[in-house]
Amino acid sequence: MLRHLVRNATLAVALAIAATAPLHAQDQKGTLVFAVETLSAQTLDPILEGRPGNAVYQAVMYDSLVGFNLEKGGVGPGVAERWELSPDGLTWTFYLRPGQTFHNGDKLTAHDVKFSLERQMGPGSLAAAAATMKRTIKSIEVVDELTVKVNTTSPQIGLPASLSRAVAPEGAIMPKNYIEKVGEEEFRKKPIGSGPWKFVRNVPGDRIEFTAVAKHWRGTPHFKDLHMLLVPEESTRVAMVRTGEAAIASIGPEAMLGASRAGLEVLSVPGTMQAIFQFWGTYKPEVKDSPIAKARVRQALSLAIDRKQVIEHVMNGKARMPYPFSTFGYTDYFSADRWEKWAAEAYRYDPVLAKKILAEEGYPNGFELKFANTALPGTQFMVDIGTAIADMWTKVGVKVTLKHYEWGSFAPMERGDQAPLIGWASMYRTAGRPDAPWRYNGAFSPDSTQRLLGDKENCPQDCQDFVKTYQALGAELDKDKRTALTDRMVEITANSWTVIPIIEGMGYYAINTKKVGQFNPIPGRHELGDVFERIPRPEQKPWKK
Amino acid sequence: MKRYIARRLMQGVILLFMVATIVFFLGRLTGNPVDLMLPEDATAEDRAALTQTLGLDGPVLDQYAIFVGKAMHGDLGMSIRMKQPAAEAFFDRLPNTLVLIPWAILLGMMLGIPLGVVAAVNRGGMLDRAAGTVAVLGVAMPSFWLGVLLIFVFSVELGWLPSGRMGGPSHYVLPVITLGTFLVAGFMRITRSAMLEVMESEFVKLARIKGLSEATVIWKHCLRNALIPVLTLWGVFVGNLITGAIVTETVFAWPGIGRLTYEAVIYRDFPLLQAVIILKSILILSINLGVDILYAYVDPRIRLA
Repeated sequence: MLRHLVRNATLAVALAIAATAPLHAQDQKGTLVFAVETLSAQTLDPILEGRPGNAVYQAVMYDSLVGFNLEKGGVGPGVAERWELSPDGLTWTFYLRPGQTFHNGDKLTAHDVKFSLERQMGPGSLAAAAATMKRTIKSIEVVDELTVKVNTTSPQIGLPASLSRAVAPEGAIMPKNYIEKVGEEEFRKKPIGSGPWKFVRNVPGDRIEFTAVAKHWRGTPHFKDLHMLLVPEESTRVAMVRTGEAAIASIGPEAMLGASRAGLEVLSVPGTMQAIFQFWGTYKPEVKDSPIAKARVRQALSLAIDRKQVIEHVMNGKARMPYPFSTFGYTDYFSADRWEKWAAEAYRYDPVLAKKILAEEGYPNGFELKFANTALPGTQFMVDIGTAIADMWTKVGVKVTLKHYEWGSFAPMERGDQAPLIGWASMYRTAGRPDAPWRYNGAFSPDSTQRLLGDKENCPQDCQDFVKTYQALGAELDKDKRTALTDRMVEITANSWTVIPIIEGMGYYAINTKKVGQFNPIPGRHELGDVFERIPRPEQKPWKK
Repeated sequence: MKRYIARRLMQGVILLFMVATIVFFLGRLTGNPVDLMLPEDATAEDRAALTQTLGLDGPVLDQYAIFVGKAMHGDLGMSIRMKQPAAEAFFDRLPNTLVLIPWAILLGMMLGIPLGVVAAVNRGGMLDRAAGTVAVLGVAMPSFWLGVLLIFVFSVELGWLPSGRMGGPSHYVLPVITLGTFLVAGFMRITRSAMLEVMESEFVKLARIKGLSEATVIWKHCLRNALIPVLTLWGVFVGNLITGAIVTETVFAWPGIGRLTYEAVIYRDFPLLQAVIILKSILILSINLGVDILYAYVDPRIRLA
């Protein structure tokens, strides 16, 4: 009896220790297989890859200077534990997490951070923001092994966000000594990083394989190996998850119902994008007599959209009412609660009011609207949304001339004089990112690519207000004042009804619950590159139905 | 014969030059890789910098002159997306496509030729109609749909075969069936018409008069002669398979040159697209030239014409 009790007690203690002890290498088992529609450039050199590829597969083996807030979304600690801005707003100081190492055992230090940022700005870099970094970063100083200062040419409040994977790959930290020793070519063949997964093999057009490190501050992987398979066809990806050949596959909203009916878990990542529609050149003299030059007409077109129908029928219920343009629940320095209430009212479905406004503005029988329907890469469902809203506009009397464009042929039209788009409305997208000003600048500044409120020759009141607010925001260091300015910027543009959100979209994954346990994605981050290490094995945390 | 080969080679070079020119300019009409490499909120400054880094900032005609100059020396450029020589990327993936082709042709012949014989022997009968239906289905059924259907039945429902990707022998079955179904129809129709022609020949009547069994007449004497036009169509079928593998390779996540072509188009990877089309054209031209030379060797009237 006593022996029995002792044995049970020993077993209980052992189980308790096992449950609370940190994960060790011997606990890592099995292979996590992820099927994805694209591996983008499929290169493991961070200076040669854009954001989507970086966030999917480079993220697993590289850490970023600034990381994520795993619960809320937006930025959080990364390689740098914390960072601070100097009182003049011209220097950011990053304090690195001690004890970090690369996969070859080298210590990760401030020298690696300086080297990585300079490499991202250097020749041969295909980094999306290389030119902006070169212009805005004056110098990078190593203060000590764990402290690095970035001096900027003007106050760059959004710099930490732009060095996080939440926005771009430019913050990926690479091993200085290793690259200098073996050279770039060898580094590309045998890359090493400091992330929770080590590189094993890259088979172009087919797969990338990684193996887990024994311990990592981002989370020690539960699986021993991670295989990312390139499977371009969605139905094949879903089939692979159904058969167990893959544990997780990226899917679009159109595949959600089928996957769900087939018994797969469908995971949705909130706040990854907004599907929007926007009006081009409404301030131009040649558009002044067009109905879309009037903000109230643009508002009426928004009121004519039944967003709940779009969410229900196009997005299969896995989307939500949007915040104003390019803002999300996790947006920095932003009164999210206030704007959520505002959006619920402003973006309501009210076809009666829409018709009334149109009549008051002189269009009781509607008008002809030219609408360019397009979808940015990876969000093909936008075409269905565009078609649906065009149909809704028809119901309030607007005669829509709908033209479909493949993204490759649409993108060039928005540059230069924008002649093919002036006077048109079009579909567009904004990706989820924590810092709103960057996206606002790209859409509304008179010298930006899109310049939707005005250009250098014609900058009406809205446009001037925006410029003033945006400039003040760029130099504002006080958090409360910064929030007030962000809210003001959102207010100016939301009330202009030039860019109008339709829905806040999500990222979707089909999951075989026999292959992986329950896990949470990072809000706003469609890609799972920073999540794989926290995905449990199925027996560790079963999915609750 | 030498003059004939020289003439065909010269025609091939001119054709290649035309293909390269068309692909170069048509590719650029479809957009710019920078639009796909940068996020939608990239600044004009970053866009201009990347365009310059990729060598896409000069006038298109200048780019064309550089492309032609390099191509003459065998340099088809670097893949924008993969950052490796485009020709190297092509030859890395070519074996993956080539391993499917013999099996697809074998499947096409093993099913198509007997079906064609049966159809010809039963001309106008039920079996002929049934074989005709198979032929129509084989030609009309989109390989995309067939591939997805096969995955659903044999992978998902029955669990017999993997859904896709390269691997052991079982991974070949569904892609080969998908590729080969079109060939079954092709071989069946050609065999049928060739058989019908041969079955009317004098030597066949003589064989029957000699008292040979019907099976010997059909399968030995008729089929052997009917196979000549069938076998010469190999070249065309191999060419079709090389160019037509795009869909099959995409559905089955097979990393061959079909998928490489698809990726080059999707990412506006101009150098890769140019290289893939030019190298595929060289392959197909070589195969066709080989077949034509064989024809000319067999039938002197062709080289004299």
